[in-house]
Amino acid sequence: MKVAHPVMKMAALAAVGATVLAACGTSTSTPSFIGPSGAFGKVPPAASGPKHAGTITVAEPPGATPTWIFPVTPGANSSVYTAYSFQYEFWRPLYWIVNGVRPVEYKPMSMANDPVFSNGDKTVTVTLKNWVWSDGQPVTSKDLLFWIDEARAAIKESPANWGNYTPKYGIPDQIVTATTPNAKTLVLTLNKAVNPTWFFEDELPLIQPIPAHAWAKASVSGPILDFTNPANAKKIYDFLAAQSKSTKTYATNPLWQIVDGPYQITSFNNTTGAWTAKPNAKYSGPHATPMSSLSAVPFTSDTAEFNAVKSGQIDQGYVPLTDVPQIGSIKSTYNVFGYPGFGFNYVTYNFLDKTGDFNNIIKQLYIRQAMAHLEDEAGYIKAFFHGAGGQAYGPVPAIPATPYTPSNALTNPYPFSVSAAISLLKSHGWTINPGGTDVCANPGTGANQCGAGIPKGTKLAWNMIYNTSPAIIGEQVTDLVSQARKAGITITLKSDNFNHMIATYYDVANPKADNLWAMEDFGGFSISAYPTTLGIFNSTGSFNIGGYKDPQADTLINASVTSGNPSAVKNEAAYLTEQQPSLFQPLVDNVVVWKKTISGDPLSFESLTQYQLNPEFWYFTK
Amino acid sequence: MAQVSTSLTPLDITRAPEGGEIGPIQSGWKLAIREFAQNRLAVIGLAILVFFVVFCFAGPLFYHGQVFNTNLTAADMPPGAGHPLGTDDEGFDELALLMWGGRAALEVGFFAAIIGIGIGAIWGSVSGLAGGIVDAVMMRIVDMFLAIPFLFIVLIVAVRYGASVLGLSLIIGAFTWLVPSRLVRGEVLTLRVRDFVSAARAAGSGRLRLIRKHLLPNALGVMIVNVTFNVADAILAVAALGYLGFGLHYPTQDWGDMLSNGIQSLQDGYWWLVYPVGACIVLVVMAANLVGDALRDSLDVRLRRR
Repeated sequence: MKVAHPVMKMAALAAVGATVLAACGTSTSTPSFIGPSGAFGKVPPAASGPKHAGTITVAEPPGATPTWIFPVTPGANSSVYTAYSFQYEFWRPLYWIVNGVRPVEYKPMSMANDPVFSNGDKTVTVTLKNWVWSDGQPVTSKDLLFWIDEARAAIKESPANWGNYTPKYGIPDQIVTATTPNAKTLVLTLNKAVNPTWFFEDELPLIQPIPAHAWAKASVSGPILDFTNPANAKKIYDFLAAQSKSTKTYATNPLWQIVDGPYQITSFNNTTGAWTAKPNAKYSGPHATPMSSLSAVPFTSDTAEFNAVKSGQIDQGYVPLTDVPQIGSIKSTYNVFGYPGFGFNYVTYNFLDKTGDFNNIIKQLYIRQAMAHLEDEAGYIKAFFHGAGGQAYGPVPAIPATPYTPSNALTNPYPFSVSAAISLLKSHGWTINPGGTDVCANPGTGANQCGAGIPKGTKLAWNMIYNTSPAIIGEQVTDLVSQARKAGITITLKSDNFNHMIATYYDVANPKADNLWAMEDFGGFSISAYPTTLGIFNSTGSFNIGGYKDPQADTLINASVTSGNPSAVKNEAAYLTEQQPSLFQPLVDNVVVWKKTISGDPLSFESLTQYQLNPEFWYFTK
Repeated sequence: MAQVSTSLTPLDITRAPEGGEIGPIQSGWKLAIREFAQNRLAVIGLAILVFFVVFCFAGPLFYHGQVFNTNLTAADMPPGAGHPLGTDDEGFDELALLMWGGRAALEVGFFAAIIGIGIGAIWGSVSGLAGGIVDAVMMRIVDMFLAIPFLFIVLIVAVRYGASVLGLSLIIGAFTWLVPSRLVRGEVLTLRVRDFVSAARAAGSGRLRLIRKHLLPNALGVMIVNVTFNVADAILAVAALGYLGFGLHYPTQDWGDMLSNGIQSLQDGYWWLVYPVGACIVLVVMAANLVGDALRDSLDVRLRRR
């Protein structure tokens, strides 16, 4: 399972191997994209010939039922499914930073021209394109400001009211003033200089214009209020949030019919989560012609979903990782494509665990390097992922391909080799006992000694907590522990569930458990386009689960969000790949399928692997 | 007036009694063993149990399939040369896994059953002998524990403290004493009014001695029968925990974990990861139940065929 990380602007993923839907591209773009390295299968080019409209049925994975429609989503309701596969169908983000499987902007789908940074990167000017609401009103800068003020009102009531909120960083805390000099322009003045790339790719896409002319009211029949007045903004937020809680009225509430996205909701089953939508005739973005209607079908288990795929009941679905070997049975009916989502999986070290001097052991870079040598990523992909995955050696892996992948993450800096791990330990004063437990024989801080704080006789033995779901986590850690045994490192496994792990084995949130765990594997993080690890590996990060502390890492991470250096995040990633603050794991492909009778822009099918659903680009060929 | 005879006809000891031949006098245990041996299903059950004990504990001495060092290049291999039952996703040999997993299942099963019967016997006999309010309170405590979903508690404890053979045995044992305690109490309630107990009491036996020397030995049949059922229940509980992902962890193996891993791949055609271990669980549990049923029949004189 992956965890939400507000700094990186992401929502919680349901589970590794789960999927969802599309993005990007126009129905007329050239079908040029062929499966990139690390992909599972290929996306075929768009079919020529007649295009037909119909109703496209898409699968909702278990746990992906939308629970919130208003585009200021509380943390408790936040998920990639609610945001990317539901809300985005109706209200588009200001900037579209997904392009197939690449985390870069797709300009035709952005609602504004690229932002202009000035005043030493303390002022941001956004100019809107000519988009309109479904009621014919233009999308204006007031609609951007309305969203910002509502997000601010939500946070003021409780930080939990907006799942993407990061105190002190980005939107809205860094905004000192927000003005609208004209209907197309929004000017943000920030409290300090920001890294323009970070602010553009991670912060501005959080803004989802919402219709001030229809929504800025405190009751169903009330007047339109001045939302720039904080008291009014609060009343409006309370009203809209209350409407959003009423899931049974999603399809009947006139508020939710005013959209700028490609669809308007037509039904919503608040018991099952099934919903349908019709095309927004006034949609301003790129799309296929004619556009099809949409029907989202919920499933209570991966098995049920894949059975529906095998029987051809849905047009677009996914293949659970365990069922990848069965893909041959559906290939005549469905196109298949797999690719990892943006993000990284890792095993966290607890740098504060004093049990058996683990805190001092794990502070040694050579120990972390030895652990990295014990990880057989290629073996995991072959044996556990059935070939559907890609290797990853740092927080910004080589796949999905990004401009920020550092050179030392392109090939494994610490390739799988038990003998290399043993050599590292031997050369630092450890007596090796394969199958047993290594012991520090040469304490001290010299180059050939165990390291600071590690007394003679210290054993390389500790525990590791792992998440039982998905099963591949258990499979990976079992192999890791087995390889570690060969090097004389004794790791005792203990299984747990995600929620309990995050509530318990989390140094920042629960210091009482500092000495209860040494390593834990709960999954990883999904990530946005600009892959800084702010919050995860900086010493004060709220997601710094194991208390990693490194002044150099702090400096580099801070530069990623405050300096004007476009390579700052790449430098950060390079340093962290070398330092191995955690044990980075391979990424699993999200394997998606769609019927061969459906075609469209290839990029829109590729981006299904990034949880983006864009059926506005799809059409039936028969 | 007719004369009423006051003398009985002399017993003709040369004639066979109406009930059949009188054999040499045998002890109750010998009769029970004879009864047990004549029950075909019981013998089959016992043979299966003995087979699995030998298979799991002596098997690894002769068959050295890999269950400790992963070998991902040999993952998910079907049965064939070198791996008679194939390999799992870690490259572990399935046949060897069955042996090691069965060892853990049997260890936990027997240990938990013994713990359960031990606690249950003491609790039940004290409760039955004491009677009155003590009996009522002790039985309400049993009722209270019976109302708690057993697996739920075991899951919580397994997550909190981790799972090991000893730990699981203690946890499962701590919840399997409830039924035996009721059964033993029932036996004690009938025994405590018997003459030999009254005699012992009159002779000065204290409560502890009464329990130790008179009540528990006479309730032994019930306890033995219950041990076999508890073994089966404990093995199923371990399998259920493993299936849910909270059983024993590598390097210890357990059948439930194997089954859980195999189920994921069943539709992919990896039958060897499911059927052998499923069959082992079914066979051992069935065998324990068969033995238990037969023991009950043979130890309870009312249920004996003769």
